[in-house]
Amino acid sequence: MRIRTRGFGMLAGIALIVSACSGSPTPVPPTVAPSVSAPSVAPSTPPASVAPSSTPAPSFAQKPGLKIGVVTDIGTLDDKGYNEFSFKGAQDGATAIGVTDPVPSIVPKDASEYAADIQQFVSQKFDVIVTVGFNLTTPTVDAAHKNPNIKFIGVDQSPECILPTGAPDPNFACKGVPATALPNYTSLYFAEDQAGYLAGIVAAYADKGAATPTGVIGAIGGTTLCAPCVRYIQGYTLGAQSVNPSITVKSAYVTHDFSNAAFNDPAGGKAFAQTFIQANKPDVLFQVAGKTGNGVLEAACAANIYGIGVDVDQWASLGAPANACIITSAEKHVESAVAQAIEGIAAGTLTAGDVLFNAKNDGISAADFHDKASLFGPEVTTALNTAMAAMQAGTLVTCPATGCGVAP
Amino acid sequence: MDLTPIINGLYGIPVVGLVFQLAGYLVSVIPQNGPNIMQQATPLALGAICGVLCERSGVVNIAIEGTMLAAAFTAWVVGVAIQPMFGTPNPSDIFGITLPLLIALAAAVLVAMAISALHAWLSISLRADQIISGTIINIAAAGLTGYLNQLISQNSPAGAGEFARFVPPAALTNLPVIGWVLALLLNQGPISISVIVLVVGTQVWLFRSRWGLRTRAVGEHPRAAETVGIDVIRTRYRNVILGGVFAGLAGAFLSIEATNSFQQNMTAGRGFIALAAMIMGRWTPIGSFGAALLFATFLQIGTLINIAPPSGQLGSIMAGVPPQLFDALPYILTIVILAGVVGRSTPPAADGQPYEREAAT
Repeated sequence: MRIRTRGFGMLAGIALIVSACSGSPTPVPPTVAPSVSAPSVAPSTPPASVAPSSTPAPSFAQKPGLKIGVVTDIGTLDDKGYNEFSFKGAQDGATAIGVTDPVPSIVPKDASEYAADIQQFVSQKFDVIVTVGFNLTTPTVDAAHKNPNIKFIGVDQSPECILPTGAPDPNFACKGVPATALPNYTSLYFAEDQAGYLAGIVAAYADKGAATPTGVIGAIGGTTLCAPCVRYIQGYTLGAQSVNPSITVKSAYVTHDFSNAAFNDPAGGKAFAQTFIQANKPDVLFQVAGKTGNGVLEAACAANIYGIGVDVDQWASLGAPANACIITSAEKHVESAVAQAIEGIAAGTLTAGDVLFNAKNDGISAADFHDKASLFGPEVTTALNTAMAAMQAGTLVTCPATGCGVAP
Repeated sequence: MDLTPIINGLYGIPVVGLVFQLAGYLVSVIPQNGPNIMQQATPLALGAICGVLCERSGVVNIAIEGTMLAAAFTAWVVGVAIQPMFGTPNPSDIFGITLPLLIALAAAVLVAMAISALHAWLSISLRADQIISGTIINIAAAGLTGYLNQLISQNSPAGAGEFARFVPPAALTNLPVIGWVLALLLNQGPISISVIVLVVGTQVWLFRSRWGLRTRAVGEHPRAAETVGIDVIRTRYRNVILGGVFAGLAGAFLSIEATNSFQQNMTAGRGFIALAAMIMGRWTPIGSFGAALLFATFLQIGTLINIAPPSGQLGSIMAGVPPQLFDALPYILTIVILAGVVGRSTPPAADGQPYEREAAT
C-alpha cells in the first residue's frame, strides 16, 4: 500500500514535469476585443454576460504552465458565496489561459492558518495565488512582500494598509502605495453601491406594486465595520430614491463588531429581522449579512414581504422553498473578476494595486427576477438598463460623496 | 383618563426624568416583541436545563454547545435525507407538523443523548477530567458537522422544512397586562412552546420526586448516597443522558424551528450562555429559565435600541453612546449578575468530581 502511494506520487511528479515542459513557451498573442474597456484589466476580456459564439476562439493569452492556487476564507469551498465563486473564477481563468492541471484550493480552519496555507503554495512554487476575502489581507500582503516573483490576487481586500516598503503596516499609518510598493499584488474590489443601486430600483418598484404599499423599504447589514455592506445599503437607498423620491429607506446593522452574530447566525438574524419588520413595516427587505442574512430572508418571507439577496443570485443558490419571496439579488461577479484577473496575468496586462470591478467591466448586476418577473412591468427593466448604462458611462452617483462605505 | 400630561411631566424632570423615559420606552417596545424574546431564550433555557440535570448529579457538562450543534445538524440532515421518501406532505394545521419533521426531531434528540452518553462514559466510568471531555466533544462536534455539512450541502438540498408557530387567539393576547406574556409564551413553535412545561416539569421532578432527591444527594455527597443504597454511577448516567434530550431539543430548535437551515457553528456560543444562565439561575430549572429570559430580553433591548431608538432627550443621549455598548449589554449584565447576585449561591458540593466506589472488603 505504501509503495503504491509512493508510486502514485512519482507518477504525479513526472506528470507535472511533463506538463510544465510541454506547456510554457507557447504564448499566443492576445487578440484585442473591442468590447467594454476595463480601465485596469486585460482589454482582451469580454464580459461574461456576452454569450460565447459557437466557435470559441482562444482570445486569451495562453500560459498553460501557470500554477494557480486558491486559499479561501474560513468556511467551505461550496458556500455559494465568496469562496465558491472565487474558486470557480480561478478555474475559469485557468481554463481560459490553457492550464489543464486542476486548480488546488485550501480552506483554512481558522484565522491562525491563513499565513501557513498561503505558504504551502509558496513552498510548492506556485505562480499565482488567489486569496479570498478581506480577512486574508494582511497574510496575503505579507506573503506578496516576501515573494516578489509570485503573483497574488486578493479578492475584496481593499483598502490594504502597507508600509512604503511593501510590508503590512501594523500601525495602520498606511503610507505605502500598494500599486508601486507591491507590484506583484492585485486586490480586486467591487462597486457594491452600484449593485445596491440596482437592487434599490427593484425594491422601490416592488414597494409601489405591493397590495398596500407602506412606502417603506428596509435593509439589514451584518456589521457597521463592513464597508462593502455599508456601500450596498447606501447604493440601495439612492437607487430606491431615484424611482420614488419620497420613499423611506430604513436600515440597521445586526452588530457593530465581527462576532458570529454579524455573518454566521441565521437564528439571530431571523429574530433581528422580525423585530425590524415589526418596528418599520417595510414592503421589501434587503439582506447584506451573509448567513445571518439568510435568517433575515426567512423572516421576510414569513412576514409576507419581499426579500432581496446579496453577493450572488440567492434565488438560485438558496433554492425552494427558502427563495419564495426573493425578487432579485444585488450581485457581485466575483467569478468573472477572478477569471479576468488571471487572464490579465497571462496577458501581462493586470495592474498592481486596487482594481475596481463595476458596471463597466462586468463586476456587478442585479440578478434575474426568476418567478417574480410578472411583478415587474417593462418600466422596471428600462429603469435598470438606464441606470446600468449611466453607471457604465460613469455619470451616475451611487454612493454619497462623503462617507461612502462609512456607516452613519 | 388621559395620562399624557402626567407622563410628559414625569419625563420633564431633570435627570430622574430620564429614568421615566427609559421605563416608558421599554414598556412601549418590549411587550410587542415578546415572541422574539422567547425565540432567543428557548435554546438558552433548554441548554440550561441540560446543565442543571447534569450538574445536580455531580457531572459538569460544558459540552452543551457541541451537543446542541450536533443535534441541530442531525435534525437538518435527517430532514434532507428522508424528505424525498415522503414527497411533499401537507403540514398539519397544528405547528405545521409533518412526519419527516418529527423523525428529524427524534433523530436530533437521539444523537444528543448518544453524545451525552459519551460524555457520561468518559467522565463517570473512565473518570476523565470532565472539562476536557466536554471540550473534546465541542471541538469534535464543530469539526464533524462542518465537514459533513460541506459534503452534503453541495447541491443545496431542501430540508424537511420547519415547524410553524402557533397563533394564539387575539382574545388572549389582547388581554390587559398579561396579554403580551401569553403571546410571548404561546406565539411559538412546538419546541419553544413546550419550554415552560419542561421547566416546570423538571423543577418539580428535581425537588419533589424520589429520583430528584436521589439526584441531588448524589451531586452533594455521593459517598453518603451510596451508603444508603443509591447507585451513584447509574444515577449520574441517567441524568447526563436525560440532559442530552434537552440539548437535543435546543439544537433541533435552531435548525428546524427557528430557521430552516444549518450553518457551520450556528449555535454561536448559545451553549455557553446557557451555562451562564444555569449558574445565574442557581442550578434550578425555573431560575435558569428566568435567567435565559432576562438575557434574551437584554439582547432584544439592544436590538430595539439599534432598530427603533427612543425619541426625545433619552434618544439623543443614547445616540451619543457607542452602539457596541448596546451589543454588549446582555454580556455585561451576565457578568454583573454572576459577580453580584450569584456570589452567594454555591454549586452542588460534588459537582465535577469523579466518583470512585469504595473497594469492597
